[in-house]
Amino acid sequence: MRTALLAAAACVIAIGVAAGQASKPAPAALPDWSGVWQMIGPTVFDRASVQPQNGRAGDVGVREFPPYTEEYEAIYRKNIERIKAGTFPDPISVCGVPHGFPRIMNVPDVYEFAVTPAATYVLAENGPGVLRIYTDGRKHPPAEELWGTYTGASVGHWEGDTLVFETLGLKGSRDNDEIVDRTGLVLSDKSRVTTRLRKMNDTTLEAVMVIEDAKALKAPWKVTKQYRKMPAGTWAWDYGCAENNRNPISGSGKTLTIGPNGKPLDKNVE
Amino acid sequence: MTFTRVIAAAALCAATTVPLVAHHSAAMFDDEKVVELSGTIKEMQWTNPHIWIQVIVDNNGQKTEWSVEGGSPNTLSRNGWRSTTFKFGDAVTVRVNPMKDGTAAGQFIGAKFKDTGKTIGRWE
Repeated sequence: MRTALLAAAACVIAIGVAAGQASKPAPAALPDWSGVWQMIGPTVFDRASVQPQNGRAGDVGVREFPPYTEEYEAIYRKNIERIKAGTFPDPISVCGVPHGFPRIMNVPDVYEFAVTPAATYVLAENGPGVLRIYTDGRKHPPAEELWGTYTGASVGHWEGDTLVFETLGLKGSRDNDEIVDRTGLVLSDKSRVTTRLRKMNDTTLEAVMVIEDAKALKAPWKVTKQYRKMPAGTWAWDYGCAENNRNPISGSGKTLTIGPNGKPLDKNVE
Repeated sequence: MTFTRVIAAAALCAATTVPLVAHHSAAMFDDEKVVELSGTIKEMQWTNPHIWIQVIVDNNGQKTEWSVEGGSPNTLSRNGWRSTTFKFGDAVTVRVNPMKDGTAAGQFIGAKFKDTGKTIGRWE
């Protein structure tokens, strides 16, 4: 009997190693990130560089200063002009695509952070918004097995109580259906992000992201977001964006408003 | 008597700057202007991604239905709102940032119930 059990255990270990798993075991006591959390501050992605200070994403004249290449600075400026003209729609307005990464770390409503030995899940209520960070020892898929997705592929490990993960395989703004925030910020399909996520104290989580993008950025771009713990017992809810979406996008990129008769109220629909 | 009027008070405009819209561009709203609607509730749509309050405004016999957009029920419920906060027939005064093109719609700022005097949202 004992021999059989040992053989079974050896078999499980062998399968795990063959699958590239369990090479970096999680710490014995994983940190407690339970509860419901809310991002601190408005949905400007890089609050450290936004001008004017305290400017809101989507307001005319508000911008940040990532170390953009000339090509992407020009794209950003074009987006800023479209905001001025009221023709820069938020891609999520169609209620079908995720925010993507890194934008998922910059959304309103609330978050939950589910920590397990094999993976940590960032669950953004405003969604669809799930970021899966695998910590079971696997590597990123080889390049030929990756394709650009909204949220990419995240692999992480624990350094004490800090979850360090790298995200790649991102599609960025390649298909014009993903932004980083409503000031018009975008990244390319060459972006990759290293994030350090940790609990600073009982009521604050912090994500420090270092973004590299061979196409869009001249240098790594460091952005920090923080999250405040909501009172005990706070609920996160289902967010069915398509339930009653009365804001479709016109052909010119204008966000419309549907009236009680089911037709756009807007005077100029083009 | 029910009516619509425009409030130009700068202080009130400044008080409206916390955005309620989380799912789409707010370019259609004029956040420099506040319109006060006095009317009755036809319906509140307690739905994602935004709630909608349909208000019937009677201007000397001419009735207009306004569509007033609020935040998500998720966030509003965590701030004391309920799916029954606005009920059919409630007599209310509602303040909105109106649409720039003058159509009968706007972004919710705050409301006052005429029978109880209670307020909800921002009502400075």
